[in-house]
Formats: sequence, structure tokens, C-alpha cells
Amino acid sequence: MSKEQQTINVSELDTKFADEVISYPGGEHLRKCFACGTCTAGCPVSEIDDDYSPRRLIRQILFGMREEVLTSPTIWYCLVCYRCLAHCPQNVNFPDLMRVLRYIAIREKRVAPDIMDRISEIDKRIQILRHDLIKFDVAKQKH
Amino acid sequence: MSDFHKKVMVIGGGIAGVQAALDMADSGIEVFLVERGPSIGGRMAQLDKTFPTNDCSLCILSPKLVEAAEHPNINIITNAEVESVDGSVPHFVTKIRKKPRYVDEKKCTGCGICMTKCPTKIPDAFNVGLCDTKCIHIPFPQAVPAVAIIDKAHCIYFKRGKCRVCERFCEPQAIDFEQKEEFIDIEVGSIIVAAGLTEFNAVSKDEYGYKIFPNVVTSMEFERILSASGPTQGHVLRPSDKKEPRKIAFIQCVGSRDAQTGNEYCSAICCMQAAKDAIIITEHLRDAEISVFGMDIRAYGKNFDKFIERAEVEHGTRFVRARVSSVDVNPVNDNLILRYETDDHARKEEFELLILSVGLKFPPHLRNLASLLKIRLDDLGFVHTTPFTPVATSRPGIFVCGSISGPKDIPESVIEASGAASSAGAVLGDFPRKAVVVEHPPEVPVDDGDRPRIGVFVCHCGINIAATVDVAEVVKYASAQPYVVFSQELMFACSQDSQKLISDKIHELGINRVIVAACTPRTHEPLFQSTLRNSGINPYLFEFANIREQCSWVHQKEPARATEKARELVKMSIGKAAYLEPLSKSKLNVNKNVLVIGGGLAGMTAALDIAEQDYHVDLVEKADRLGGNLRHVKYTLDGFETRAFLEHLVDQVEKHKLIRVHKNAEVESINGFIGNYRTTVKYNGGMNIGIGDLVLQDDRFAVDHGVVIVASGAVEYRPDEYLYGKNDKVITQRELEERIAAAQPSLQNLRSVVMIQCVGSRNGTNQYCSRVCCSTAIKNALRLKRLNPTVDIYILYRDVRTYGLKEMYYKKAREAGIIFIQYDTSAEPVVENINSNLQVHIREKIINKKLKFSPDLIVLSSGIVPNENNKALSQALKVPLGTDGFFLEAHVKLRPVDFATDGVFVCGLAHYPKDISETIAQAKASASRAITVLSKDEIESEAKIAYIHENRCNGCGLCVDICAYKALEIDQERMVATLNAALCKGCGTCAASCRSCAIDIRGFKDEQVLAALDVLRWDNK
Repeated sequence: MSKEQQTINVSELDTKFADEVISYPGGEHLRKCFACGTCTAGCPVSEIDDDYSPRRLIRQILFGMREEVLTSPTIWYCLVCYRCLAHCPQNVNFPDLMRVLRYIAIREKRVAPDIMDRISEIDKRIQILRHDLIKFDVAKQKH
Repeated sequence: MSDFHKKVMVIGGGIAGVQAALDMADSGIEVFLVERGPSIGGRMAQLDKTFPTNDCSLCILSPKLVEAAEHPNINIITNAEVESVDGSVPHFVTKIRKKPRYVDEKKCTGCGICMTKCPTKIPDAFNVGLCDTKCIHIPFPQAVPAVAIIDKAHCIYFKRGKCRVCERFCEPQAIDFEQKEEFIDIEVGSIIVAAGLTEFNAVSKDEYGYKIFPNVVTSMEFERILSASGPTQGHVLRPSDKKEPRKIAFIQCVGSRDAQTGNEYCSAICCMQAAKDAIIITEHLRDAEISVFGMDIRAYGKNFDKFIERAEVEHGTRFVRARVSSVDVNPVNDNLILRYETDDHARKEEFELLILSVGLKFPPHLRNLASLLKIRLDDLGFVHTTPFTPVATSRPGIFVCGSISGPKDIPESVIEASGAASSAGAVLGDFPRKAVVVEHPPEVPVDDGDRPRIGVFVCHCGINIAATVDVAEVVKYASAQPYVVFSQELMFACSQDSQKLISDKIHELGINRVIVAACTPRTHEPLFQSTLRNSGINPYLFEFANIREQCSWVHQKEPARATEKARELVKMSIGKAAYLEPLSKSKLNVNKNVLVIGGGLAGMTAALDIAEQDYHVDLVEKADRLGGNLRHVKYTLDGFETRAFLEHLVDQVEKHKLIRVHKNAEVESINGFIGNYRTTVKYNGGMNIGIGDLVLQDDRFAVDHGVVIVASGAVEYRPDEYLYGKNDKVITQRELEERIAAAQPSLQNLRSVVMIQCVGSRNGTNQYCSRVCCSTAIKNALRLKRLNPTVDIYILYRDVRTYGLKEMYYKKAREAGIIFIQYDTSAEPVVENINSNLQVHIREKIINKKLKFSPDLIVLSSGIVPNENNKALSQALKVPLGTDGFFLEAHVKLRPVDFATDGVFVCGLAHYPKDISETIAQAKASASRAITVLSKDEIESEAKIAYIHENRCNGCGLCVDICAYKALEIDQERMVATLNAALCKGCGTCAASCRSCAIDIRGFKDEQVLAALDVLRWDNK
């Protein structure tokens, strides 16, 4: 609740942040967003994390919440499955936007430069785990 | 041209094309209505009900179709396409390619026997393929023309050279397998394109599962499912198991506002259509739970917001502000699982039936049509128009109306249709009008004392009647009744040879009352009446017994009892016929002058259109100059400057030799009725220029005129919200627009601007949407951004209502960096002045935090409110206002510029808020409607109208109060009701409610109705 009560003073935000993101390849379509929520509705990360919302991240970029966005763990959660882009009526490329934000965050040394390698390693282990669990589950049902 | 009179071609026979054709035909212009399909009616014929009145769509459309088919000035050419257009206005030479039907249109009576005999089933296009029809078929029961067509591709005879079953059973011998393609050359003065629309193919949105999962249907399919004449006879059943669904979802914007499908515009009708369907569903299935998933609710039309509220509050419809990401199927029960997001939580929900609200597109053949007509299309592929010429194409003499120039609903299409009719009629040069003149032989007088000699003709209607009712038995029965001198059965009473037979018998036997026992007077009474007239008998000495719709069709399983009922129905007609008396229509002269009230954009446009067709106009404007609200609109959403247009328009109006402009003047009193008005106009002092030979008495003058156009406008809402009037940094959009137009230097210094929408609209006081404010805010925001690219602009809105093609500017605004923030009435923005700094507070729902803005300018999108003197004017004109205070038209769908009172028309903001192009279209429409009256030298009243027995009337005035057409008045000297025959429609409300039985309706007099009932007592077998 306390988070909700907090008031953001828009005049203190970095209103140039959206333009900065747009200036990178992949950021072009940011402003086309009309906040319909299709991206969040189909997002596999949002399904397990109520605090994760592609729509909200886009809003935060548009309003210029630079610090909040670049320091948030949420920009690292995206699986790059492209389900959001596949259904986005305005062709906003959210995974590309995340790539831009990650690039800026790494360049500004907000995270260790090898973070992407570590995330890849996590993904790989989860894939193995998922693969083996499904195999086990299907085998069990046969008996 | 072979015969010299005004002629126009209309391409497309949907509601827009039909309305344009009727207007022109009624104005003495011969119309060639060319329709690609086998019958006219278009999309509207397929709809179940229409919003926001929930009228049965076909029931209100069908009379228009029948009227068009019977109009002597309209030539309907179906199954035909335009092949070429040469020449130029007013001498176009066109070639029409008429495809073969393989059925002779002149011989086919529409009995439908061929359909019952044809062995080949094909998907029924009218029911969008949800059920089958036959290879030879009439497109739908009420089709106009009601003529069968053979689908050559599926016909066994055409494929294998054998069958011809239809030919064998066709009594009128209408089947013609040898029919060839025909080319028809038609010369016309101008052309109207009303080629309509098509639906988005939902297969392209594969994430919604259409044609993949069985219980996903489109909105058009669902219209047919709801329809009583549809594939499920109006039972709402889901396709997979034919069970009634309980949880039903609608997904909006399927193929609209969607860059992925290439249709980025809004389809303008789907929000209302879904709300309408939701209401209708709960009328079919009481326990249904309906959810509508969409983005903005675009209820921008008259009474639309109230309709949405009705769906929500009275029918429990849940409107969810969410766009569905994808649809999956539950393999166990074929339910659909929708993924959507609300309050920033991803959710899944299961539904039993899913309806996709598919968008509207221009039809695929438009590109080809446009290239042969040499007219320009816009970037999106619709016919190009400009805001100042909403019904004109890029080529002189070719006009446009309806959804072919952008998606629109039925009233907008009807308005544009009448508007296009006005424009098309104005460019036809000096050719004379083609008056509808029909010569009849003199009537044989029938007096009260003459013994009734009744002829009874009983129709088989092929097998429609004869398969159930024993027609011979009915004929035999009728011949034994009193006064009946002749009775006979006919295979088709409506065929040409039957008319000759009826006529011959009238002469031969001196028949003076005719009864036809067949189908319905709704479609066929005019035909038999004209047969009577041509035989020298008064056409009202005719009585129809409906033994088809009211007997054979509904009692198919009980032939014996059906025959008995048919006998009784015929007997009742005989009882009544003995009391029929000749009736005549009275004729009234028409004064050809027009009074236009209001000199804004609407009034000036209407005046000019009427004057261009050579009628005189008195234009009354209360201000000291013309222009009205348009003076405050500096530029349009699409970037056109208004000033030069306005100045040119004012100049044309003031210099037109047929327009007298009265400025500083107001209507003081109006008396009279259609064709015959006298109005007193009062000048409010001051000098008046340009009124010529007008003589004023006490600053007043009287003018006689035949029709009135109400174009009295509306006013901007003056806000008392958000510190308006208390802080000079809070202004309205209109004030901002004036600053922008003047390129005021202070605009360059702005850093942050907040715009607040719906100020004075959609609230407790003004419950309607002011329609133009979303576009105005976007228009001004875009201009301001252009003047000052560094300014941050935030628009606080409830729903962004950039309907139709305006959606493209919503996108432009976002791309320009303007940020839109949605709020609900439960959390409206708060404006404060803290230490002489303005602050705006609002909760941002997506970030889920309160935002504080410190703008240096707040712009209120204040709405449009009706004029204060609307009430006085409405009373003077005897026309009603709606609950919102705007003038109330005769019918929201099909008579959007008429009033129930004939001779009075409305246009512009007096009717409802609208933008420049919509105002121009409606003003032109009012001109067109006015010309349908002015083009006649005299108008006929109805014949079956009220009649007052003055000796019984005590002048209580009840009838005066309830007459919807203001046809009754109390004569204060004699204290009796008097009837204005010109205004009476014969509805009978007065007769039914008169406590003294002092009013009768001719043709339905008490003694006639009682006689029909009385005969039932004669004998019971």
C-alpha cells in the first residue's frame, strides 16, 4: 500500500529518457504504445510475477522514470519469447526495448558486465530441469 | 440524352445508396440504382437489431426497399457492375454490365417453389454461410427484387447438362438457362458512389482462434444467430454442441486499431454493436454473463453513452478495459480461455462462446471501381474526401456516401446519402425535373345507396398458400356470402395476367368492391390499388385478407383448421368491404420558399445547397455576422485552415441572388404547416444590409415559406471546474486554439501543458459525449508541439474517442510524444493553486502511483451544450427536444434530419455535437430532404386519416396532446377539435383515446371494424 500512496513529481522526471531509448536501434516504436495491455496479458513472466509488467515498463520509460527503470531487476526478467511483439497491435518491440535498457544499464556500470552470460547459464539450467521434469511426469503417467 | 430530364446513377444498393436514390427520385430526378449483388439492402438487411433503439433492422429497412422498388423514378439494376464511365458532368456516359441470373426478372413472382424443388444445397451467403440455401434461391425472404437467381457454379444442369427441375415447377416460366450477359448504356448527369463495406476476415488474427475453435464466431455471424430469420431461428446456441452458452465474451477491435493487420483506423461501430448484442443476448438468455473486452468505449453518438450504461446497469454487461492477448481452447468442453490483463495482473478466464467484433473494410472491388471512375482513394484505401467536401470525390460530378469513404454507422451513412443527393442534384444543369405523373381513367362513382357488388380473388401463391389451405373451398365459401357477385382462385394474384383478369371482371360484372385473399398489404396493397384505379374504381374500395403470413405459413401442420381460418379471414373482409367508401387524398399547394434558422456553417451550407437548386431562401441569424461557431474553429484535425473556406462560404451566401440574409434577426413566431408557413422575423435594431426590397414594420417582417430548416447551433460549455475563471492559466481548448492560430509568442515559453477531457460532458448534468473534444485536444496538442517542440503535453482522458479514420491522428499524437493518461470518474484529476503554482494530481493506473504535474497551462476540453432558446423554438415549430436538450429527429437511424412533423428539418449542432464535415453533410442532407418537398407543385395528404364528428366532440383537447404529428388543434370559438389533413398520418392514436368517440379513421371507421367482427357471429360453421 505504501508504494501506492507515493506521489511522483512529474517535473522531476527525465522527460528526455524516452527519446534516449528511441535513439537506439530497436527503440523506434516505443511511442506508438497505447497501453492496451496485450503484452502483459500474454507474458509468461507476468504470469508468475505480479510486479512484472511490460506495459508498466513502457509507461515508466515514457514518463521518464530513468533511475527507477535502470536500477530495477525487472529489466532482466524478459525471456525474449516475443509473445508480446507477436500480438502487439502497434508493433512495439518490447524485447528490443529491454535489450536497449540492458545495454544502457551495463554501459553505465549499474550491473556487472557479465550479467547476460549469467542469465544465459540460468536459462540453460532451467531448460534442463524443465526437460527432465516433463520426461519424468509423462513416464509416470504411462504406468 | 434520349429523354430530357435530370438523371443520376447511384452505385451500390445498401442503405446509403437507397436513401440517396429515394431523395433524388422524390425530387424529380430519375435514378439508376446499380447493385452488384442479386438484391438491394446491403449490410443493414443482415443485422438483427440496430443500436441505440434496438429496432429490428430489416423491419425498418424493408419499407424503404419496397418504396425504392415501386418508385416510378427509380430503376433498380441488380447483379450488375459499372463497366465504363466516359464524359464529364453533367453528361456522363456509362456502360453497365448486367450478369445473367438465369431467371427472367419480369416473369418471376418470387413464389419460391423453385427453391423447394432444387436438389442442390449451397452455403447461404445472406446467413454468412452458417446454413444452406439452394442453388436457385431468393437471397432472403424480404429481398428486393424478390426474384430468384441461379448460382451457375453449383447448378447441376450447368455442370452436367441435366436436371432443369426448377424449370419444370416454375408456373410463370421464368427460368431461362440461355440468359446472357447484357450491356446497358445509361447517360446520367452525375454519379453517387455508395459501394459500402466488407468485414475484416478474422482468420488473419489466428491468435483468437476463429475457424480453429468451434465456439469462436464473428459479430456478423452472431447477428444472424440472433436473428429470428437466421440459422438458429433466433436461439442463441453455440456451434460445438448447440447448447445455450452462459458465459459469453466479446473481443473488440479485431482488425481495427491494429497495425499488424494493416487496419490502423477505428471501425466506428463495433463498441455500440457489442453493447447492443449484449443487451439482446440477455433478452434471449436471462442468466447470460457477458463480458466485453476492449480498449476505449467509443460511445460518441446521440444517446450512445446512455445505451452503454443501460447495458452495464440493467443488463449486467461487464466492460473490461483490456485487449485480449490470445485465446486457447479447453479440449474437454470446447470452452475458450482468454488471456488478458487488468490492474496490471495477467489473467485467464474461461468462456463458453466468444464473439469477435470484426472491423469494417472497404470492399475489395473498390480499387478497380475507383480507377474506372477516376476518383482518388486516400492513404488507407477509402474514397478520398476533405472536411469541407465530405460527400464529393476528387472528380467533379461524382459524389460519395456511406462507409466507402470511411467506416460509419447507419445514421451517418443516411445523412451522407441525403447530402450526396443534394450535391448530385445541384450539378445537373438546366434539364427539367421528371415529375411523377400517372394517368388514370375516370372513377366510376360509388354512392352510399349503391348495392355493394363484391369480387373475391383467392391466391394460391404457388404452393405457399395452396399446400396448406384448400383454396377452392375458400372460393366456394366466399361465393355464398352476401353481396359477393364473383369469386375465383388465382395461381399468383400479383402476376400481370391476374391484374388483367381482375380488371376484366370489374368491367364485366360491375364489381364495386374488391377483396384479394393472399399475402400482406405491406408489400402488395399498392399493386392491387393501382389495378382498381386503372379499372375506374376508387382504390380504397379494396380489402386485403392475409391468408399467407397470418394463416398458411403459421398453420402448416393443420391444413383443415387453416382452411377454416382462411374462410373466416375472407368472411371478415367481406363484412368490412360492404361498408368501404371511396376516399381521396386532399392536395395542398407548396410555397417554394425556405426559411433557414441559423447562419452558422450548417445554416449557410443548407441555404446555399437549396439556392443552387433554384429555390429562394430566407436565412435568419441572430448575431451581426454569419459564421457561428465555425469562427472559433481555426483549423481541422487533418490540417485544413478554415478561414478562407469560411470567408468564401459567407461571400457565396451573401451574394447569392436567391438568398436573403437577415442578420441581427430572430424568429418571433411561426404558424402553419408543410407547404404553407408564415413566419414573423424580428430585427433586433441596428442596420441591416442586403435585404433589398424588404419592408419592415416595427422592426418586423412576415415571410411565407414551405419548409423550415433548424440550424440554430449550440454553444461551448463554460466550465466552473478546475479553477476555470479563477486562474488565467486555466483555459479552454477554444481559447488555446485562438492563441495557436495567432501564433502567440507566450506559447514558445511553455514547458508543460496538461489537457483535461470530458469537462462538462458525460457527467450528471450533461450525460452525453460531446464527440469532438478528443479530436480537438489532439489537433491542438499536435499544433502546439509543432510551434514548440520541447513542450511536454499530457492529456488526461476517460476514453479516447477518435472514431473512424480520426484514429490515425491519435497515433500521430503519441508518436509526437504526447502522453495520454486514463482516469475514471471515481478518481478525477484534481487541480490546485498552491503558492500561485498550478498543480494537477491524478492517479496513473498502470504505474499505480499518484502523479503530480506542475504545468504552466491547463487546457480544459469543454463540451458542447444546447442553446438555451431551443425550447422556445421547438414549441414554436411543434417539434420535440430530446432529454439532453438537442432537437429530436423523427428516427435516429433512418430519418436523422427529419422531424415527425413534415416540412421541418434539422442539421448541425442543434441536432447533436459534430465536427465540420459531419455538419456539412447533415446540412446538405437537410437541403436534400427540403427539396423533396419543394420540387412538388402540390403535396398529397394521406387518404386514411382522422375524421372528426364535431357534434360529439367537447373540445377536451386530449387528442391534441397525444398527436405525435401535431395534426390536431382545438378551435377555441367552437370548442371542437379540428384536423390538419396535411399533417395527419392516420395512426389512429386520437381515435383510440377519444372519450366521446368523436374521431374515426377513414378506412378503419368503427362501423367498418365492427362489421368485420360482426360477421363472425353469422354462423359458426
